Order: sequence, then structure tokens, then C-alpha cells
Amino acid sequence: MKNLIIILSIVFGISISKAQIVKAEIVATGLTCSMCSNAINKQLKTIDGVEKIDVDLNTNTFVVFLKNTNTVSPKTLKDNIEKAGFFVGSMIITMPFEKLSIADNLTFSEKKMSFIFIDSKAKILNGNTKVKVLDKGFVTQKEFKKLQKAYSKYPSYENGNENDFHLKVI
Amino acid sequence: MKKLFLVLLAMVFDTAIAQELFVFTEPASNMPSGSVGVRFGQSLLKEQIKTGYNYHFMPEIMWGVNKNLMVHFAGFISNRNTTLISEGGSFYAKYRFFSVDDLHSHFRLAAFGRYSFNKADIHQEEIETMGHNTGFETGIIATQLINKLAISASISYEKALDNKPDYVFPEAQSNNATNYTLSFGKLIYPKKYTSLKETNINVMVEFLGQTLNKNGKSYLDIAPSVQFIFNSQIRLDLAYKQEIYASMLRSAPNGVYLKLEYNFFNVTNF
Repeated sequence: MKNLIIILSIVFGISISKAQIVKAEIVATGLTCSMCSNAINKQLKTIDGVEKIDVDLNTNTFVVFLKNTNTVSPKTLKDNIEKAGFFVGSMIITMPFEKLSIADNLTFSEKKMSFIFIDSKAKILNGNTKVKVLDKGFVTQKEFKKLQKAYSKYPSYENGNENDFHLKVI
Repeated sequence: MKKLFLVLLAMVFDTAIAQELFVFTEPASNMPSGSVGVRFGQSLLKEQIKTGYNYHFMPEIMWGVNKNLMVHFAGFISNRNTTLISEGGSFYAKYRFFSVDDLHSHFRLAAFGRYSFNKADIHQEEIETMGHNTGFETGIIATQLINKLAISASISYEKALDNKPDYVFPEAQSNNATNYTLSFGKLIYPKKYTSLKETNINVMVEFLGQTLNKNGKSYLDIAPSVQFIFNSQIRLDLAYKQEIYASMLRSAPNGVYLKLEYNFFNVTNF
């Protein structure tokens, strides 16, 4: 019984801190046609955990809704956009936080991924929260050059580890 | 000529959204990784030396190996010698090695190479490894999208070999050439997208030129085309190619083209 409680609390504990993405709004760059959008749409659908995708062909925005059980990372989404032959211009992800207190340069890790809040003030995040991924490959090349200068004080941002995701609450 | 060019330029720059799925040239962009395309190209070209028309049929399979590399396999079938016979085939590879993408623009560079074999008789000075000559072609493509207008240019080196087993490349002719192309594309329908099922209509104009390196003879063609894309998956191209000038012997430079292409997404993915 005691063991069961421990197991349950571990499971429960994990589920609270779980850094899951429930929705991702991705603007793709370099598109010229609906055939290209279709290619991205079909490529994103191959990702395990994708429930549905809404496409705005005029703004090249792909809203990806993910299943409750998904383990999709921002990198998986980015890699699939690139597989279709295009790039990510911006990625805003929605994550369900439960009373997570954040501060500038605060890191929380989930499995192999680390999420680091930068350019952020201390506050408590509760419920579905939209955050923008700021790393290389998640913003346009032009914007990345600007951010690189602005965020030079964050060593992890400079390092550009592919499993570190720098987030800003929007 | 200069006026015509300015009019065309004005037409193209007026666009809101552009296309780079050109009919006669390849853009520096690739097809999606893991997708397979099947293309049936047909052309009916008017003979300049004899009377009548040539019919060429060119089936082609295209495969996006990964996000940067794609390959084509094509077959060449024609009735130039009275009956419809298979004359040769080709292998083409294109590698995208540079991309700068922004929200409303992109610039891409790709390198390509083709090897073709052909057993037909050699009957013109023009070198064309797509359906006439055994040989190879290698070059660079640059594609720029500015405010959603696509402009693509390429330069390549093409060398003809003997059309084995029966036809030796004539020694008196230049067996290598420099090719250059310039393509513009524009979407005319829809003005605003509503769904992936919607038919898209594009208009394009392409300039295709060649200079024979050994004797400086050259030609320049203009090729306007209209393209329909159905269900974001099927592509139908209708084009007309017309010689603007030529100082070399060409058997059938002018004629109509009809291409049908179907794309299968996510067939192979590593």
C-alpha cells in the first residue's frame, strides 16, 4: 500500500510537471503554393500524437493540435517542416502548466528536453499558456541574428543545444 | 523585343503570389522528402527542315530522397522516325545547398547533374540531353522569391557524346554548350486561398538559351505557359515554345507541350 502511494505520487508528480505541448501554431516560410502547404500538412500528419491540423493557406500558418498522450517536441515539428522542404518562421506552443513559478533563465527539464525561460519576468504560470520558441530554426534567419545579440547573456542560448528550447511567454 | 520584355516584367512584378513550379526548368527548391511524383510529358514540335510534326513522350519518375536531394528518372519515346519508339533515358539529381528563408522571401541555390543516353540519329547542332543526345549536363540554379514573386535562373554546361551504338557525334559540330535560363512565375487564381481542394492557376514565362562553346552559335527561346494545380496534388501544364532567334541548325524548336504530374506524399521516409 505504501509502495502504491509512492508510485502514485511519482506518477502524479510527473504528470504535474509534464512539459507537454497541446497545440503548436507554426508559420512556415518559403512557401509559394497550396501544393507546398499540402506537402507540409501531410508531413505533419505523419507525426505520432497529432490529432488534427488547421491550415491557413494565406498566412502559411499550421495549427497543430496534439493528443493528450503525445510526447512531441518542438524539434519534431521543426524537422518535419524542413523535411517538406521549408523552414519555420515562428512557432508558438501552448503548454498546460500547473502553478509553475518561472523566473528569468529558469530551466525545467522533461526527459531529454530542457525548457528555459528567457527574457521573462518572475511569475506563476497556470493553465494553458502560449510560449514562443526562440531558438535557431524556430525563427527566421534574420530574427535569429537579432536575438543572438540580444540574448548573448544567456550562455545556453549561445550554445544552441538541439534539446534546449528557449521560451518566452507571450 | 525590349518593349515585350518590359511588358512581361511589369506583368510579373504586379503579382501578389508567385509560383516556381516551372514547366521547362527546375527551381532551386526541391520536392518534399519522401514524396514521389510521376510526370507524363508530351510535346508536338513542328519540323523546320522536313514537313510535319514530331511527337515526343517523356514519362518521368521523381523522388525526394531527403530534404536536400531529389532524383528523376526519365524515358524518351518519339515518333521522329515514323513509328513510336523508345530512344533513351536519363538520370537527374539536384542538391539544394543553400537557403535563406524569411517570412516573405527566400533565396535558394542548388546544383544539378544529368546523364542521358539516346540511340537516335544526331540531326541538329543544338545539344539536348533531354531526348536527343547521349551526354551529360551539370549546372547551378538560383531561385529568389521577393514579395511572393518567384524568379529563377540557371547556368549549366552540357556535353554531348556519341549516340551509341549507331551514331557518332559529328566532329564538325561543337559537342559542348553553355545553357542559361530565366523563369518568371505568377499565380493568377485564386486571389485568396480558401482550401487545399481549390484549383490553382499559374502563368509563367521562361527564356531558354544555349551557346555552343566551340563556335559561338546560339539560340534563345521564349516559352509562355499556363498551369493548373488540382487538389494540391495534380499538376497540368500547357506550354508553347517559340524560337526568338537561332544561329545554329535546329530540327524542331517550336511547338506545344502538355505535362501531367501526380504527387504522392510521404511514400518513403527515413
